[in-house]
Amino acid sequence: MAGTESTRRRVLVAAAVCLLVAGLRAAEIIRVTPLAKNGRIFVSFEMRDAFNDDIRAVIQSGLTTTFSYDIDLRRSATLWFDKTMSSATVSASVRYDTLTRRYQLSRMQDGRVEESRVTEDAEMVRQAMTTFEQLPLFSTTPLEPNAEYYVRVRARTRPRNAWFFWPWDRDAASGVARFTFIP
Amino acid sequence: MRPGVEPRKPFRDNPRLILLGILLLVGALIVMITLADRSAQLSPDFLSEVVLYALSAADLTMLVALAFVLARNIIKLLVERRRALPFARFRAKLVAVLLGMTLIPAVLVLIVGSELIRNSADRWFSAPIDEVLGSASRIASDYYLERQTVVSDNAQRMARNLAAVDLSADDVSAARTLIVPEVTQKRIGMVEVYRIVPGNGNRPAVVPVVDVATPALPRTYVRASADRLAARVAASGEEGRALEPIGDGGELVRATAVIRARGTGTAQGVVVASDYLTGELAAHFRRITEAYEGYSQLRVLKRPLAGVYLSFFLMVTLMILVSATWMGLYLAKRITRPVQVLAEAAREIGAGHLDHRVQRETADEFGSLVDAFNAMAGDIAASQRKLERSRIELERKHLDVEARRRYVETILDRIATGVVSIDSGGRVSTMNSAASRLLGLPAAAVGQAATDVFARGDLKPVAGLLRAGAHPAEQSAHEIALARGGREVHLAAAATPLHGDGSGSDGVVLVFDDVTPLIRAQRVAAWKDVARRLAHEIKNPLTPIQLCAERMRRHFAGAPEATKELVDECTGTIVGEVESLKALVDEFSQFARMPAPRTVPSDLHALLDETLALYDGLFQGIRIEKRFVEELPQVRVDPEQIRRVLINLVDNAVEALGGVERGPVPVDGREDLILIATHHDSPNSVVRIIISDNGPGIPAGDREKLFMPYYSTKRRGSGLGLAIVRRIIAEHGGSIEVADNSPSGTKFTIELPC
Repeated sequence: MAGTESTRRRVLVAAAVCLLVAGLRAAEIIRVTPLAKNGRIFVSFEMRDAFNDDIRAVIQSGLTTTFSYDIDLRRSATLWFDKTMSSATVSASVRYDTLTRRYQLSRMQDGRVEESRVTEDAEMVRQAMTTFEQLPLFSTTPLEPNAEYYVRVRARTRPRNAWFFWPWDRDAASGVARFTFIP
Repeated sequence: MRPGVEPRKPFRDNPRLILLGILLLVGALIVMITLADRSAQLSPDFLSEVVLYALSAADLTMLVALAFVLARNIIKLLVERRRALPFARFRAKLVAVLLGMTLIPAVLVLIVGSELIRNSADRWFSAPIDEVLGSASRIASDYYLERQTVVSDNAQRMARNLAAVDLSADDVSAARTLIVPEVTQKRIGMVEVYRIVPGNGNRPAVVPVVDVATPALPRTYVRASADRLAARVAASGEEGRALEPIGDGGELVRATAVIRARGTGTAQGVVVASDYLTGELAAHFRRITEAYEGYSQLRVLKRPLAGVYLSFFLMVTLMILVSATWMGLYLAKRITRPVQVLAEAAREIGAGHLDHRVQRETADEFGSLVDAFNAMAGDIAASQRKLERSRIELERKHLDVEARRRYVETILDRIATGVVSIDSGGRVSTMNSAASRLLGLPAAAVGQAATDVFARGDLKPVAGLLRAGAHPAEQSAHEIALARGGREVHLAAAATPLHGDGSGSDGVVLVFDDVTPLIRAQRVAAWKDVARRLAHEIKNPLTPIQLCAERMRRHFAGAPEATKELVDECTGTIVGEVESLKALVDEFSQFARMPAPRTVPSDLHALLDETLALYDGLFQGIRIEKRFVEELPQVRVDPEQIRRVLINLVDNAVEALGGVERGPVPVDGREDLILIATHHDSPNSVVRIIISDNGPGIPAGDREKLFMPYYSTKRRGSGLGLAIVRRIIAEHGGSIEVADNSPSGTKFTIELPC
């Protein structure tokens, strides 16, 4: 009996992706702000309207929810694919403890835990999951002065989109910001 | 393929492979069921990143496989039907029925099952359960919060009490005195007091000062967690709360408070108060929480969860569909294939490949049918070989008959006897070249009605002969004379009716022999006999007549002048005529006694040049022209006799053109010409000498008589010249013909064998 219950619970976890994607699909715009200073490219981005009721319900159910962001520094090409100068991945995970009514938050960058904390504030969770300020992600060394680049941010969720017949990502949220590199 | 190596069986004909395929399918199903059953032990990431992907990939693969199997076989069936292959319609119907029996139930089960899964998902949730689980979770959470609040209040109260205590002193009895009552009065399970000391950098450190715990507290807890909590509070200056599980399943509800010095408010220590929750109570709370979270997750994931189950269900359905479809197609093929193979083999046999055999694949009725078919093919092959031998024999006989026929045809074509066959329908069926030449008929006459062919005026004697020969019992033979090219041709003709095996007539055969030379020879012989008799009977009295006439002239030499003149005149006339008669009799004698030619190989051109040289400058108004061919073979002739022939013919030509009596310029202004030409007819192995003039010519009715003795158009001719010419040419094995010259005159053509 306990096994059946547990099985169902695990399967539920896998199927949760659908709701996450449903929530993300409504907020597909990521506002990105790149800033070059002190030899680094600082990237700030915010995924707006990502925290809708469906996402909150998923988090409140106790599932560990992760927002992963793939950030690419790219240069446009006219007749060929754009060139990716550098890439980074940041993620934010949250797990809600129903008993203590606290959120366990953690942030990672390229596999390293950058921050971990416990909070009871849902607004803080939303901000921690969707807003990143001035992350020093890229070096300006390989960039050409006065050339135009852009920073692209694509958001994924984990567990991922898993529609029962076609689980592959079809329309993940993304955002782009262009800038001219002036040393 | 190498000889002796057995061809590899296709999958459908290999029971071991089929069994292996079924085992793999069953194994895949077992793996899927096991995976679904053990999914509880799988992490959510694994489920979402691997299992669902695998399920979806398997679904798509199955769908593609199903589409491929269906499309391939449907196209194959359509192509077979279009090509009108045997049993294509039957197989198409069989496949349609089997597919219908598979697809329709499977799709129905899929629809019904999907609906059941959706309905079941809807029934998982109900308002009472919502209320019960929500309330229980809130109660557990409230209890925890309340306990934390109580512990936190106690910690703060103790922190205020400890503010007056010097925590840096060695004697900690004051502090202990303050906190022991809190524990002994069971308001709290354990109290730990830390003193804040400067640490490395700006981060302060904590040093344990005193701790008091109730004896009921298990000794399995770890002090380190309290140390970390105190250090964090000392660093942040904020109060903290924590829930720490301990070894017996129980939990410690911890709360901290900063001890601030009275007056200055400086943080000098930290109080960590802990309340103990028994393992049983904590387990209850955990189960309540897990149940609520599971229920919440189930509710928010209701539709995706149904999708997961549907994915499982769809995959199993597709697997069954693919298997059933393949099996249906396989069965259809197994049923129709032996019959198809037999039909194909029958076509091969029909196409003449009698060595074609069908390999027996099964031991059932189809196997017996295959054996019977192979036996039948063997019998047919044996019969065919016999027929082939008979055909070859027949063909060989036919070739013999054909060769014989060609041989007879060649003979008929080469012989001088003309042969014409008339079939039972009265049409000319065959005609050899001699008949064509003798009758003057074209080769196109073959196939035409004989009555039409022989209706021509000059062939009426042949028509009469044909009518006479039509009587079955009679064989008629006649000599008929036909006018041919202005001369008369004598033919010995015979009409013989043909009788086949039956009583009816198979037609008539007409046979013609040219007897003209024979008749001529007979006539010449007769004339020679006449000439010899004439010479004998006439020449003998001539001498006495002549002697008597001369005696009479001598007797009357002394007679009176008048008598003497009369006698001289009469005797002179008698002697002159006797001389003429003697000359005539000499010619007759010569004609009768002409010797056989003594032939030697001769150059005809040289002989002609030599003979014609006799006429140079003789006639002023007559031109003698030679047109000789470049090459002329040597011909065996008697030069003297041939020279006599040429002189005779040229003399006749000169005579026809007026002879020596004509003037140098012709009266009518035309130039008199005697043309002597030669021609070599190598196919017929003859040499021709043509002597023509442009004189007045000879009437057609006189031409045949020209060569008869004693026929002459000249006043003083004996009529033996051309008869001697013909005789000389005939004795050389040749022939001479006379014809009109174009545009005027006469043309003599001599043919001599070479």
